[in-house]
Amino acid sequence: MTRAAPEQSASVTVERNADDRLPGLLRTGLRDPGNWVLFAVLVVAIIVGASTPRFFTIENAKAICASTGTIGIAALGVTLIMVCGGLASLAVGETAAVSGMVFLTMLGHGLVPALLAATLAAAVVTGIQGWVIGAWRANPIILTIAVGSILTAVGARMSSTKAVAPASEAFEHLNKTPLGVPVVVFALLGLTVLVQLLMSGTRLGRLMYAVGENRAAAVAAGLPVAWTVACGFVVAGALMAISGAFSAASSHTITLEGANQLTFNAIAAVLAGGTSIAGGFGSATRTLFGALMIATISDLLLLRGAEVGTQTLVKGLLVLVVVLLGHVRSRRSRT
Amino acid sequence: MNPETSHPATRAGRSERSAGLELRSVQRSFGPIRAVSDVSMAVAGGSIHALCGHNGAGKSTVVNMICGLLQPDGGEILIDGEVVSLHSTYEAQRLGIALVDQELSVIPTLTVAENLMLGSVDEPLLLHRRRLRAHAQDLLDRIGLRCSPDMLLGDLSIGERQLVEIARALGRGAKVLLLDEPTATLSAPEIELVFSAVRATAAQGCAVIFVSHRLGEVIELCDRVTIVRDGLTVATLSTDGLHADEIVRHMLGELPAPVAKAPSDRAEPSLVVDHLTTPGLFEDLSFEVSRGRIYAFAGQVGSGASEVLRALAGLYPATSGSVVLDGTPLPVGRPGATRRHGVAFASSDRKGEGLFLTKDVRSNLLVSRLRALSSLGVLRRRRMATVGAEVARSAGIAPGRLRTPVQQLSGGNQQKVLVGRNLADPTVRVLLLDEPTRGVDVGGRGAIHQLLRETAVTGVAVLFASTELDELIELADTVVTMREGRVVAVYDGDATEAGVLSDITHGEGVA
Repeated sequence: MTRAAPEQSASVTVERNADDRLPGLLRTGLRDPGNWVLFAVLVVAIIVGASTPRFFTIENAKAICASTGTIGIAALGVTLIMVCGGLASLAVGETAAVSGMVFLTMLGHGLVPALLAATLAAAVVTGIQGWVIGAWRANPIILTIAVGSILTAVGARMSSTKAVAPASEAFEHLNKTPLGVPVVVFALLGLTVLVQLLMSGTRLGRLMYAVGENRAAAVAAGLPVAWTVACGFVVAGALMAISGAFSAASSHTITLEGANQLTFNAIAAVLAGGTSIAGGFGSATRTLFGALMIATISDLLLLRGAEVGTQTLVKGLLVLVVVLLGHVRSRRSRT
Repeated sequence: MNPETSHPATRAGRSERSAGLELRSVQRSFGPIRAVSDVSMAVAGGSIHALCGHNGAGKSTVVNMICGLLQPDGGEILIDGEVVSLHSTYEAQRLGIALVDQELSVIPTLTVAENLMLGSVDEPLLLHRRRLRAHAQDLLDRIGLRCSPDMLLGDLSIGERQLVEIARALGRGAKVLLLDEPTATLSAPEIELVFSAVRATAAQGCAVIFVSHRLGEVIELCDRVTIVRDGLTVATLSTDGLHADEIVRHMLGELPAPVAKAPSDRAEPSLVVDHLTTPGLFEDLSFEVSRGRIYAFAGQVGSGASEVLRALAGLYPATSGSVVLDGTPLPVGRPGATRRHGVAFASSDRKGEGLFLTKDVRSNLLVSRLRALSSLGVLRRRRMATVGAEVARSAGIAPGRLRTPVQQLSGGNQQKVLVGRNLADPTVRVLLLDEPTRGVDVGGRGAIHQLLRETAVTGVAVLFASTELDELIELADTVVTMREGRVVAVYDGDATEAGVLSDITHGEGVA
């Protein structure tokens, strides 16, 4: 006796003139169970933080911001992938690392050309994956794992003799702290706004939501499905490269060791923000808050000397809770 | 089953069971609005009782309350004379309520016998194959389905799968069988099969509730019919000598006016289809379509009627032959390119392949014309608002609904959104609709027919497939009958129900 959502008759519809120009958390606020987690995490962070030495310091705030930045920028890319129905890329870390290497080796030509080269390389590689997924319904998990290992091989070759070193000091621009705030934070905020505008204010964005929610309906309506998914992946790849460039700049080199960690954190940030893994629902602002949560939790656990295993456990539990609450939300909105 | 054989003992046995299901003044509100304000009906064990109503009359809410998906705010539900609280679907099942609807809950990769055992109360830990088989055979005999219990369910037709669901309900000892639009996706012989199974089920003492928009079926199958309108029970009638118009009058309060037809003088052909073939679905189809006219493809499930539309929409890659629209050949197997040429399609599977259910009405209406509403890819909000309101007006959707998620609308209004997506769109030259009024009540159906006629008048060629005879005759200017993948006949304004029915059930295809 399984039934789909009960069909509510027209005469009983409660009008909701929700304004979609104010996206994300502010509008829905406490009504959305997905946001309860954010408030809970904030409260817990303040309580636990108060008893943790060095948590409430300017230095630590900067550290949290910097790691929110690299996680968040990559997570914005994953948001686009998830919304257009491509599940997630499991090659986020590898793509970021290899494009970080491209960035460092190209620095001899100047900062902007190096950034462009890295972004372009990642956009092409990720965009091809998107096209294959959009046009032929390839399984995103298998495809991105495969590409991830290929990129690992490429990266290993690039850094085989010695760690990739910056070709010039131009990268230091990315480590500046105007007004006392790291550049990466400005980059994250700016990119969040851009991605949000892309998602809610452009034709491509609307198509991404449509394809992600119901691919069969998009095909039947004659919408450009493969093009939409490919474009989503192209932008996602570019964002992964920017994330890679920032982490390469901050540590003066980049290796493949942190790749899995970045992939996990980026996906966790998107899910913690409440974007749906099933596609068709989510936003950039959600991901911004998700990234902040993940970065704060990582930092707090690090300061308290927790092992890597414990950190992963806590983040895993957080994602689990948010996904469950998201399920509650989607059920509620249907009845 | 046979009235003469009902000696006192069996009659007593039946009167014990005859309490069946009863609703006493049930009510249910959603927020400030009352979906159901006072519905009462009593279905005795052994009888078949229809529930009819306009879309939005509260019918779905009543069904959902009976199967435990929604809880009433007031009133009582009684099973066998006892007040029950159906706080979940599980509880409803445990108390003997079984639901069969279009969304089948049988598993294609298991055998018939295994499916019959699914979810059964006395399912043993280790399945005893021989006992399972005997049990299954018994159930199949009881509802009159002739197939081996060892067959894979996936090899059965949709109608036969529905019979398996009914058999499973019987096997679980259901006291109340709730059939929600069970025949919407079935062909005529399949419907007959389902009907005899339903009769057999009722004869074993089950109280059957049959929810349908097909009034002919209601009168043929049911003993009594309860009609709801605006959340109230308006009438409960015996179907003896009842005419469908009487039910319609109660559902609407008035009879809908028939839609006018196109004049018979015709323009130059706009769409020319030549030797179109999709292997295994239909063969060697040639016809011409002019603007401003409505064409119907009549045929049972599997006849190729709806497949022709899907092929024209570009949804089958293996199609051969040529399709020329206003002198330009159309691409094959590429729905996006086909749409850009001005051929739009609306699927019969509203939820699976039609609408974006969590998105609002406006997004659903505008999704295929975003290019015209954006400059350099950036959407123009004001233009979206104006065009959205305009399209809603052409589709007969209240402007207040534009920002409502589609999933909150009734079936009829959802269908209007799906059809409306391609209305008032200057890029659409050919409109293809597969079952344009599936699951829509009489009033909503009239409204959609009116919309399609208005669209045709603006110079669009409208092609639709339907399994409902009266719809074909009522709406189409030209009817093409199909059977087993071939055209049987083409009627230009002279189609009759009898002619079409004989064509689609036993007509010979013309090569």
